Amino acid sequence: MNFVIVLLALLGSVWLLAVVEGWTTTGRLRPAAPLLSGLAHLGRESIVPRTPDRVFFETAPVLLLIVAVLGAAVLPLAPTLVIADLATGALFINAALAYVLVALIMAGWGPNGAYAMIGGWRFLGQLIAYAMLIVMPITAVAMRAESLVTTVIVGSQDGLWNIVYQPLGFVLFFIAAMALAFRAPFDLPTAPGELGGGVDAEYTGVRLGVLRLARLTLVITLASATTVFYLGGWHGPLLPPWAWSLIKTLAVAVSMLLAGRYLPRIREADLMRWCWTLGIPLALLNIIVVGLLVLVVP
Amino acid sequence: MYAQAFFVAVFGLAAIGFGVVVFRTSSMVRSALALLFSQTAVGCMFLAMQTEFLGVLQIMMMATEMSIMAIFMVMFMMDPGGMGGMDMTHQKRFSIGAGVVAAGVAIVVAFWADWGPVTAEAPDAAMQTRALGMELLGRSMLIFETAGITILTAMIAATAVAIPVQTTANIADKEDTE
Repeated sequence: MNFVIVLLALLGSVWLLAVVEGWTTTGRLRPAAPLLSGLAHLGRESIVPRTPDRVFFETAPVLLLIVAVLGAAVLPLAPTLVIADLATGALFINAALAYVLVALIMAGWGPNGAYAMIGGWRFLGQLIAYAMLIVMPITAVAMRAESLVTTVIVGSQDGLWNIVYQPLGFVLFFIAAMALAFRAPFDLPTAPGELGGGVDAEYTGVRLGVLRLARLTLVITLASATTVFYLGGWHGPLLPPWAWSLIKTLAVAVSMLLAGRYLPRIREADLMRWCWTLGIPLALLNIIVVGLLVLVVP
Repeated sequence: MYAQAFFVAVFGLAAIGFGVVVFRTSSMVRSALALLFSQTAVGCMFLAMQTEFLGVLQIMMMATEMSIMAIFMVMFMMDPGGMGGMDMTHQKRFSIGAGVVAAGVAIVVAFWADWGPVTAEAPDAAMQTRALGMELLGRSMLIFETAGITILTAMIAATAVAIPVQTTANIADKEDTE
């Protein structure tokens, strides 16, 4: 039952995000647009490029969608509303999202096209930049909760959310999450206008539809992770817990969209330099500060 | 119990199957990702054997490691896509012999070793994570820290070796070629 509810919530959030995305780019609020565009993808011809790596080409969009859903499976919407309340939840989400890289390398290598391949390998470099900034802030979150269980992590923020307790970790995680979701300004693997779509370039029809759905689901999963780890999850007055989870998740997802609209695309080398020379020392500092707080403040 | 044995067997066979694919394909990326999915299947075996933390860790670590290996294989091989018909294998007889001997040894050890009493009831996943943490930061800390520092040293050394040294001679060379 939980599985169906969480999946529907995920789909609903994806739809809302797609509507907002359309609204910010075209200036018109069209609630039916995502559905119509999905149907249009189904109707279009889905071209297979010449001499592709067929297995990778077909697997990549589906794998991306599966890992986004798997990541969402350990994130609670309410105290009991979670698909799998694993003892290693905070680690599991990392494991699931590590396969975003595998999916993008497949999508890059599979179609046998230059732009796609550059896009796929670019994401590997992007991972080298953001990976530590996902894992290290989560470490600090787990330190405060003294658990890897996501529901316990939300429970630990009763009274004081982690965004206040460890703001540095929040900023680093938010930026790294945008890089992981390859949203602008970190959309190096797709890079419209420069790589001609990159990993998206050779996909058409239903396969492109799945790829787009997977990207939006990934954004929602990461926004939900930000909510669970930093924004107190389901905590909030008056409204029921699940409503707070959804509101916060959507707010984070929309703020990711907005941040992307007003920032220029960052260069791969700059991203890596900033992440390693500034991001990782700050993440270490965050771990030390949280460690001291956990030990000193009762 | 039977379900557990079934899933261990299924994932074990998947691991072997993907392992075979590693050597049956000429595409370097396919080969690397087949190795990844072989290792992922081993991670799933851990999960089926109720060692949640180890399983999840294995599944997580292998994704990035094998992807990074893939790009190195693409960079260094002459026919990374395997479409040029190059033979990527060498020392076939020796490797077949070594494989058969290693498999034989593994089977003999599996059947003849004294594995001690089998734990009837595995502790729950949270307890396992705690016990693992205590082990890593207690008795085994020195070993892991030594290994970590050694790897870090090797990485720094490798990077230092890879950075070209600016000497007057090679600056002059560069100017000549320009």
